[in-house]
Formats: sequence, C-alpha cells, structure tokens
Amino acid sequence: MSGSLRRTKAIAHKEVLHMIRDARVLYLALGLPVIMLLLFGYGISMDVDHIPIAVVDQDHTEASRRLVEKLVAGENFVVVARRDSADETTPLLRRGTVTAVVVIPAHYQRDLARHDPTSAQLLVDGSDSIVASIALGDAVGSLETLTPAAPEPPPLIARFNPAMRSAYNFVPGVIAVILAMVSSLLTGLTVAREWERGSMEQLFATPVRRSEIILGKLIPYAVLGMLQTLLIVTLGSWLFDVPIRGSLALLFGASALFLCAMLGIGLAVSVITKSQLVSVQVALLVTMLPTTLLSGFMFPIANMPWILRVLSSLLPGRYYMTALRGVFLKGNGVDVLAPQLVALAVFSALVLGLGIAKFKRRLS
Amino acid sequence: MSAANVLRSLANVTRKEILQTLRDKRLVFILVLAPIMQLVLLGYAVNLDVDHIPTVVCDQDQTVASRRLVRAIFAGDTFDERDEVMDPNAAQAELESGDASIAIVVPRDYEKRLAHGETPQVQILVDATDAARSQVAAQDATELVESLRAGTALAIPITPRVLYNPELKTPIYMVPGILATLLLAVTTVVTAMGLARERETGTLEQILVTPIRPSVLLTGKVLPYLFFGLIDVLAILVLGNVLFHVPIHGSLGVVFLGAMLYVFSTLGIGILIATLSDSQQQAMLGAFGFVLPAMLLSGFLTPIASMPSWLQPVTVVIPMRHFIEIMRRCLLKGATLSDLAPQLGALAAIGFSILSASIALFRRRLQ
Repeated sequence: MSGSLRRTKAIAHKEVLHMIRDARVLYLALGLPVIMLLLFGYGISMDVDHIPIAVVDQDHTEASRRLVEKLVAGENFVVVARRDSADETTPLLRRGTVTAVVVIPAHYQRDLARHDPTSAQLLVDGSDSIVASIALGDAVGSLETLTPAAPEPPPLIARFNPAMRSAYNFVPGVIAVILAMVSSLLTGLTVAREWERGSMEQLFATPVRRSEIILGKLIPYAVLGMLQTLLIVTLGSWLFDVPIRGSLALLFGASALFLCAMLGIGLAVSVITKSQLVSVQVALLVTMLPTTLLSGFMFPIANMPWILRVLSSLLPGRYYMTALRGVFLKGNGVDVLAPQLVALAVFSALVLGLGIAKFKRRLS
Repeated sequence: MSAANVLRSLANVTRKEILQTLRDKRLVFILVLAPIMQLVLLGYAVNLDVDHIPTVVCDQDQTVASRRLVRAIFAGDTFDERDEVMDPNAAQAELESGDASIAIVVPRDYEKRLAHGETPQVQILVDATDAARSQVAAQDATELVESLRAGTALAIPITPRVLYNPELKTPIYMVPGILATLLLAVTTVVTAMGLARERETGTLEQILVTPIRPSVLLTGKVLPYLFFGLIDVLAILVLGNVLFHVPIHGSLGVVFLGAMLYVFSTLGIGILIATLSDSQQQAMLGAFGFVLPAMLLSGFLTPIASMPSWLQPVTVVIPMRHFIEIMRRCLLKGATLSDLAPQLGALAAIGFSILSASIALFRRRLQ
C-alpha cells in the first residue's frame, strides 16, 4: 500500500512540476474566474438609462409636450431627434440611432379633453429584445402618473435576496461554470498530451499501476479546482457581499463531488479521443455548455422544452447549481440537499468508472 | 518568388490543410456538426421570457373571491400551479426546497375586506436567488392582484408597438449572437490549438525550411477555417430561419461580407494566441481567456448601453460586438450596406490590424 501511495505521489509530483513550469496555465486558470466575476459584477447589467428616442409630435399642444416631458423626466429616455412623420423615423430605427419613437397624433389634446378615444403611439425597436422590454416598462411606468392615482401595491417579500442583487445569482453561477470548464479541459489535455507524445506507453512500461497514473494525474487538478472555488467564494463575499447562510463544509463537499464529475468527464473524453484538440472541443460540449445553459444559472429549466429538461436532469450542473444556491442563499442543510448530493455522487462514480474502464481497455 | 509561385504554394498549403482536416472525421464533426447542434440546443434553451414560473398558492380564505383571484393567476402562461397548500409555512418550505419560485398567500379575510372596500393583504413571496427574473415575476403577480382589486386594468395613455420582433421572441434576438459565439469557438479556439500543436510536434519548423514564406504558410493554414466558418454561417442562417423563424430581411451579400471580415479577425486572434503560447494547454486557456470576456462584453446577452460608461468604449475593439450589430440589423431590420458601413469598417480595421500584427509576431518568433 505504501508503495502504491509513493507511486501515486510521484505521478502527482510530476504533474505539479509540469503545472509550475508552465506557470502561464496557472495564471490563466486562476485569473479567468477573477475576470469573470469582475465583469459580471461591474461590467454587465440589465438596466438601461438614457434610451435614445425620436419624437413625432403632430399635435404641438400643451398636452403633447407634457407627455414628452413626462417620458424624459426620469432620465430613462433622451430625445435625440424630432421628425414630422412616423415614416421619416424608419431610417433612424434601422440604423440604430434611436431605440424608440413616440408618435403623438394630431388633435391629441382635443380628443383627450373630449374623452374621445386617442392614444400616442410608442414604436419600439424589438431587434434587441432586452432593451425593448426595458423601454416598454419604463415608458409605461413614467406615464402611470398621468392616470388617476394607482392603489397601493400588495406587500412583496423577496425571500433569500431582499435587495434583489444580481451578485447573489452570478457568484454561484461563475463557480459552476469555471469548475466545469477549467477542470475538465485541463485534465483532458494533460492525459491526451501523454498519448500524443507517446509518453503514456513509456509510463506503462514502469511498475506504476493504471489506477495510480489516473489518481496522480487527477489530484493536482482537483486541488486546483478547490483553489478556484475558494478564490471565487472569498472574492464573492468580500467584493459583492454574497452571504453564505449554509455550512462551508457542505459547500466544499458539493464542490468536491462536482469536481470529481468534471475530472471524470475530462478523463473519459481524453482516453477516448487521444487528441488534445478534439478532447477540448468535446469536453466543452459536454461540460461548459450544459453547465452554462441547462443548469438554471442563466435560463430557468422550467421554461425549456421537455427534451432539454430531461437532458438537464441527466447532467450534474443542474444539481450543483441547486446545491450552491441552497447553501449560499437559503441556508439549506444536508437534509434538503440530499437528493442533489446523491445525484452528483452517482454521476461522478459513473463517469470516473467509465474513464478508468476505457483507460484499462486502451492498453490491452 | 514570383506572384504565380506564391499563389501556387498557397494553394498547396491550403489543399494539404483541407485534406488533413477532412481526413480526421472528428475534426469535421467539431467544425461543422457541433455548431449546428449547439444552435439547436441554444435556440431552445436560451429563453429570457419570464413564464411558466412554478407557483404555490396558499388560499386561506376559500371563498368565491379568493378562488377568482387564484384562477386569474393561473389563467395566463406566466404562473404554473405547482401545489396548493393551506398552511403559509408549507408554502415557505416549498420556496426553501426550490419546488416553487413564487408563493401567493391569500389571507383569511380576503373576500370580507374586498366587500368592505378595504385593501386585503395578499402576500407575494418570491425566491429572489435569480434577481432579474424574480423582479419581473413579482411585478407580474403584483399587477394581477392589483387589477382584480381595482376591478379593471390600469389605463395607460400610450399604445406600444414593437417593430422587427413584435412578440419579443428570444430566439430571434439570440440567433445572431449565437452565430457570433459559435464562429468564435470554431475559428479562434481551433486555430490557436491547431497551430500550437504544430509547434509542439515541430512540424511547423519542418515546413519552414522549405521555400514557402511564413506569411503564405500561415494564410494557407487558416484559409480552410474561413471556408468552414462560412459553411457554418450558411447552415445557421437556414436552420435559424426554419426552426426559430429568424427572418432574413437584408441582403445575403452584406451578411457574408460581415461574416468574412469577422472570421478574418477571429482567425487573427487565434494565430496571435498560438504565437504567444508554448503548448496546446496554454493556447486553449488563452483562447478562453479571450472568448469568455469577449462574449460578456459583446452585447450578446446584456445590452452594451447598460455597461458603465468607462467600459463601453472598450467594447469597440471586440469584433463580436460589430458582427452581432451587423447581423441583428441586417437580418431583422433589413439594414443596407451604407447603414452598416461603420460596423463593417470597424471589423475590417480590427481584422487587418490583428492579422498583420500576428503574422509579424509569428515571423519574429520563428527566427
């Protein structure tokens, strides 16, 4: 046993030396999550101010001017052009100079006063549907005060994230995406590289056992993955005040299980393809893409067609995402998250088993 | 070397590269079939519409009025009934376990207070772990409850009309962005790693002792990817149109001109990364170090207008941003060559400077 331990350590040591000598890989592996966090935190958001609009005022009255004033009062909109007819605004919309056009028909004030049916029209460029829906909401919101007083809204309680901060969603999401990507791709590469260079055969000629090669290769990347998790958790709570309401042990336990699954996928893919270039692309398809798209991080699973819901329930990203959100925000314990943990463990065992079995068969 | 010779050796290198690529069936799969699969997956998975929210209702009143409220909530597509419970604590528990994302608690005196003209305290609890979506969901629920209380929907003195994508369908908005992302993965990542592999195995040096010039060699190596990239564009346009009803209002000439300029710049980035890396591992991570931030900054998922003002100018150097603008405007709005001249010019400038910089660097590294 001590011999086995020594041999595994030797392989791991060699792998660590590779990593350290190729320091750029380390920088990139640890730098990428930081860049992603900063971009999510400070770079992108869904709030848009100063949406450029054009005004077509065919009424030129007190009422029509008041409507435009109301619209721009909240700084959500800026009037950048005025035209005499709606047709003249088409090139502006097409070129993207304006996002919306307000058309106030002739006799607007007169019809309003007589309670005749009349309405200004808001033409919104729908080609960017996010900006379009924000513009629609803002327009309706800023004009609400023109109508009779609205009743007081019912009380709303936002559980787990009362201030509705986006960091509470993207910090767990970035952990999952980075772990899925970096660990599976790097293990895939390191194993495939040995095949490409023919050094795998040389390793087999030594007394080192297959399982020891695999363990020795995977352990350094597992450690790297845990370091990444620690880094993101630390930065997330330090920079963005994301709470950790559950236990840290559970957080890292679930991460370790998910890491095993990702390392297993990397191993299986590289043993099957034996090429670095191909293994990266395949690993990308089965780890990062589903973790980004099908885990519920960005797009809710409930909205997907049934076939994608089935697919997402077969992949580990979804269970990990639920576990992360549960521990971070809801303070869930093992009792609530047991199904997720079991699913992660089963998946890890399956892919690791597949990788090891394929690895052994490759040799005979 | 005469011009004819240069062309001949370019053709030879390109032919060799295409043959080599086609011989490896897995590579053909990666270059052509994988992007198509991803489009289908993305098109169906990426859905920013807030609907089918799993909802738990706790109707403590059990009267005609309260049942009318519950029916109204589930009348549309926004809320899906997951469960009905009697105990508010049970509703809370479902939020905690994630079985439901929103809980609506109707108080015991709902009907009575309505009848007396008072305001019943309907409680809306949302799971706000996904802040953006829960905000929209909460707003929808609030409006519903309010409109029932007020008797009618609130009148707004403006009629909105959405152009180009009247139903604000997500795939129509997303497909141009997906196209840009997939091309980036195929061209940048594959060239970066492919070139890095040749350097690892030393075959690049072997070819360089032949009379072929480095710039010719490099051009011949990346030309096939331009070809595969344009096939992907065609396939995605057709599939996007058939599966997701993404219109093609503008001219295909403009689309392909934009795609070509875009692929030039992404290939240039691939060469640049390969030149700076010593191994495939480095090249892969380097490529992702570019692809991921570029994706976030390109306006693919979130509007550029909502980025902080210091960050917005940075996005100008990202080729994806211009390509996505070209695709959205040309496909959805029918923008013409002259409408898109600024974006096309920017892409050409980016592509030219990156390609020439990377070729110069590549030369120097080899000597």
